[in-house]
Amino acid sequence: MKTADDEPLSLVLIGGSSGSFSIFEEILKLLTRPLSFALVFILHRGKSSSSSLPELFKTKTRVYMKEPYHLDPIRTNSIYFAFPDYHLLIGPDRRFYYDVSEKDFFSRPSIDATFMSAAVSGIPVKAAMLFSGSSADGASGMKALAQKGYPTYVQNPDFAESPRMPREAIQQSDQHKVLNENNLYQEITNILY
Amino acid sequence: MVLIEYPELEVLITRIREISGFDFSGYARPSLLRRASRYLSGNRMNLGELLLHIEPGGRVVYDLIQELTVNYSEMFRDPDFFVKVRNDVFTYLESYPAIRMWVAGCATGEEAFSMAILLEEAGVLDRSLIYATDLSNKVLTSAREGVFTLSNIRTYSENYLLAAGKNSLSDYYHVAYNKAVIAPELRRNIIFSLHDLTGDGVFNEFQFISCRNVMIYFTLELRQKVFRLLYDSLSMLGFLCLGKRETLRYSGIEDHFKIIDSSLNIYQKIK
Repeated sequence: MKTADDEPLSLVLIGGSSGSFSIFEEILKLLTRPLSFALVFILHRGKSSSSSLPELFKTKTRVYMKEPYHLDPIRTNSIYFAFPDYHLLIGPDRRFYYDVSEKDFFSRPSIDATFMSAAVSGIPVKAAMLFSGSSADGASGMKALAQKGYPTYVQNPDFAESPRMPREAIQQSDQHKVLNENNLYQEITNILY
Repeated sequence: MVLIEYPELEVLITRIREISGFDFSGYARPSLLRRASRYLSGNRMNLGELLLHIEPGGRVVYDLIQELTVNYSEMFRDPDFFVKVRNDVFTYLESYPAIRMWVAGCATGEEAFSMAILLEEAGVLDRSLIYATDLSNKVLTSAREGVFTLSNIRTYSENYLLAAGKNSLSDYYHVAYNKAVIAPELRRNIIFSLHDLTGDGVFNEFQFISCRNVMIYFTLELRQKVFRLLYDSLSMLGFLCLGKRETLRYSGIEDHFKIIDSSLNIYQKIK
């Protein structure tokens, strides 16, 4: 019998902080067709933010959305959101793992934590994207993914509401492709489909 | 950031076991990898250099084990959990002449102190015993001292208020030399002791076990073994509390529990 583990799985990773919420919403709206990958969103949020993102975003797309539990299998054609106050890690056994160790750049979830775990997971990464934010989180993770040869995309800092996060990523690695404002969502659609 | 790969992590695990006897093989790899990478980055070395530095009885291997096992906690972490426990679980526990609680994997004691405050405010602390255990002597020593930085205490106070605390958190500690020291009355009924969830067995029977965000560090196989230990340590109709993103799924004992609250992961043993 064919099990879920035999199915091809690839990941799309998207990270952002302040100024990224509306971008995340817009990306979800682009997802009108079934996905050939699992999409993982890491958005910095306060630990007390009790609203669940799948609940908040449920009108944006019809694709299955979830804040995963520890050890949940990662499935294709699904959208996952990191839960506040935990690091979300991607395991080589295609399951999600949580970690409550120290924050990276004052953030839990940390984008670096998820991206770096994905980089060594052995699961192919179709694309990783980093958007607006006011800390240096994500830069190391993006660099690790780029070094593995995965396609990485960074929002042009000149157009980011908080330029620090994309700028730091570009400073740490010149391998990222820069996404410009004028055709941002068209480009993202091309990357995803 | 130093990034190590899974095969390298296995080399490190083997080396630590050879040198110290401490066995990480039952620990969840993704989290272990993150911590090991952070340790290397923080100490500005690569794995090869670390392997050269760890030697029997040496400081480095001891530091490394601490770093890889240490748990971060807060008092009243997830305030809504404490509200639920106060409202729905305590009414049940209060009916017992003597209440035995176990805080498994207690780290530096934050959860145990939070539970003691809950029991105190329910008026039952005097007839309660909280066993708070961890596998690390170092964190237990710190837990017994009950000393926290004032910046941590600020976070704990906010949590306490959100957890519907009846007083002010400052009623439960005093400040000395810019540190907060947990009041001795609160520590009186807490027994801090060494216990390794992965190797040691049942040592008492409890009506309430809090094991929040501990199981996430174990592999699927070891996790099942630890779940069995928690199950065996609970009295019938006793409560088991897990972290918010944890679940009884894949535990092997899910059929033996009734869900009291699915989002807060509070369960009651029913068979």
